Amino acid sequence: MLSNIGNLLLFLNIFFSCLIINYSFNCLKISDNIIFKKIFQIGLLQCTAILICFFTLVSAFLVSDFSLITVYQNSHSLKPIFYKISGTWGNHEGSLLLWVIILTFFSFLFLIFNKKHPKDFRLYTLIIQNFLILGFLFFIIFNSNPFSKIDPIPNEGLGLNPILQDPALAIHPPLLYVGFVGSSIYFSAAMASLITNYSNKFFAISIKSWVLISWAFQTLGILIGSIWAYYELGWGGFWFWDPVENASLLPWFAMTALMHSLLVLEKRNLLYFWTIILCLLTFILSVTGTFLVRSGILNSVHTFANDPSRGIFILIFLSLMILTSIYFLFKKYKPINAEINSNSRETFILINNWFMMFYLLTVLLGTLYPIFTDVLTNYKISVGPPFYNAVIIPIVIIFLIFMAIGPQTKWIKNKFSNLKLSFFILCGAIFLNFVIINLFRSYSIISNLVIISSLFLIMSSFFDIFKKPLINFPRIISHISFGFLIFFIGLNHNFSEEKDFNLKLGETIQIDNYNFVFQDLELFQQVNYKAVVGKISVSDTKTKEKRMLNPEIRIYDNPQTLTYEASIQTNFFRDYYLTMSNIDRSEYYNIKFQKKPLMIWIWISVIMLSFGGLLSLFRNAKHN
Amino acid sequence: MKLKLFSIIFFLSINFCFAANQIVDENKIYKNLRCLVCQGQSVADSNSDFAQTLKMVVKDLIGQEKTEEEIYHFLSEKYGDWILYKPKFNLENFFLWFFPYFVLITGGFIIVFLIKKRSKKV
Repeated sequence: MLSNIGNLLLFLNIFFSCLIINYSFNCLKISDNIIFKKIFQIGLLQCTAILICFFTLVSAFLVSDFSLITVYQNSHSLKPIFYKISGTWGNHEGSLLLWVIILTFFSFLFLIFNKKHPKDFRLYTLIIQNFLILGFLFFIIFNSNPFSKIDPIPNEGLGLNPILQDPALAIHPPLLYVGFVGSSIYFSAAMASLITNYSNKFFAISIKSWVLISWAFQTLGILIGSIWAYYELGWGGFWFWDPVENASLLPWFAMTALMHSLLVLEKRNLLYFWTIILCLLTFILSVTGTFLVRSGILNSVHTFANDPSRGIFILIFLSLMILTSIYFLFKKYKPINAEINSNSRETFILINNWFMMFYLLTVLLGTLYPIFTDVLTNYKISVGPPFYNAVIIPIVIIFLIFMAIGPQTKWIKNKFSNLKLSFFILCGAIFLNFVIINLFRSYSIISNLVIISSLFLIMSSFFDIFKKPLINFPRIISHISFGFLIFFIGLNHNFSEEKDFNLKLGETIQIDNYNFVFQDLELFQQVNYKAVVGKISVSDTKTKEKRMLNPEIRIYDNPQTLTYEASIQTNFFRDYYLTMSNIDRSEYYNIKFQKKPLMIWIWISVIMLSFGGLLSLFRNAKHN
Repeated sequence: MKLKLFSIIFFLSINFCFAANQIVDENKIYKNLRCLVCQGQSVADSNSDFAQTLKMVVKDLIGQEKTEEEIYHFLSEKYGDWILYKPKFNLENFFLWFFPYFVLITGGFIIVFLIKKRSKKV
């Protein structure tokens, strides 16, 4: 029954999209500036239909309707309700439905919130967005239908992968999707702008809020993913340069570049074609990321069930998007001559874009290169964290310095406002770094430079708060937070400690200044798993700090899996991080203990970074 | 201006004097090795038997006073370059190592060229 309702609603959505495209073309033929009322009405119907469609799937998960293949493959009747619901978008088919929801809602909201802009621009945006919606609806119906039936109906489902049964992972996909599916709306708007020659600063104003929303959500989505990886994978790291992580980072670089170049278009009517390219690129990269993740081409920790036919569909869709983009870009391209001075704000925004493109292409190349060497020469290589660290980190140093002095410039003019202050701030940053290495522990030259440049950025942005008039507070927040992010990552990296040893119940071990006692081992029966919980006390003989840590080994029933849960004790100075794993045919357990200083500040920095974006969004909404 | 530049370089070099000397660090080596039986995990992060064995091999090689490069060479001979997370700098990987810097330098030239062409003539 639910399957029929779902399918019906999917077809209804296709119908609504076609109707909107049809009416929009009709409306374009009439030369006044009024959009037909029925287009708004169908838009509203379309949003309602896709939402009901999604809730149909949610309810299928809730009542464990195993006549649907998706529910059968990803759920289990004994699973907690919360994970039954989050399981809806924790799989390929369901997550595509979430894609279409965001495409549809952004399409409708863009239409109603941009009343001041010309009719043809709004309508073409709507038309192109609806072509995207149609593309994804066809993909859902013909290839990845969440409402496909299974016969005979199984009695029980296969269950959701236990490492996905987690609150962070329940909210991670929706946040990330608002980010990179949200970028579709400025893809459509950019195309519409090329078609209708709506190329002035008002175009920049029309998409600014949407860029900010998607950027802020993308940032938060990446953060939640990192936090999840930190506590769930049990390795103590939070960024692994895994292909799937890279896939979420690529559109983020493009968005960040776009967010900055948009300012130049808005203030000076410059860089129009470059901004358009970035708009198109962001969504193209989002779809590319989806293609790489869903087709199973990449070897990664995040494996979706692989199916080559999916890959082919997305690849065709992607090529169509890229070809149309390139066609319109070439057709409409005309060089614009305007003045840019070397020490002006525009130049520094170009420098930001320059570095973003460097990061983007480096990460893209690193992600794709192993595929190429494998296919072309049958030579298998891995590109992992040491590669990215070696290439990117030295460049980050220069980037941070530009990021600190860039805002000291003015639009158009060729002059720095306060170079002397910058000099004293740089001396201050070097001095602070000197204090840190002497109070705690020294680190490599490259780390020295990273810490100094991040401190330089933090302090430079901090002094901007006291400037009268206070020009751009959200910018200051985001820049300071980015400085702090790099600063804390640098300190965390250099001051982390790691101890790896084997211990059996009742035993005590002393390693350097840490004393570990394996006090107890208990067995708990939970709803959907059994847990072996260790009690290990850690005391630091230097600071006299004593903590009890309770790592777990979980045995899940459906599907049968073993997971290792880290025990983490957080405070404002450091995290204690401990995992325990059993060793075959032995009463010993392998214990990994890590002390990770200032961990929580890394998360806080990213939240503040994203908050800067949201603040800018509110300010922008108030102005327009 | 010269004085400022000089003083910054002077202060920086004081900091560098305190910089730590890099010794052969086993954890750094573990992090550069892919656990061949896992899904995208390094030997440092993995609990598998393979990773445990490899750690012992690496410790043994360090004990024999082998350098980092020699250890990587030994392991890639045995398991192929797939095991190294930091690809070797060789002909096949030339493009991988070279292209990012090419982008960086070209981008820099484009900006300089653009400003030269477009800035107000004095």
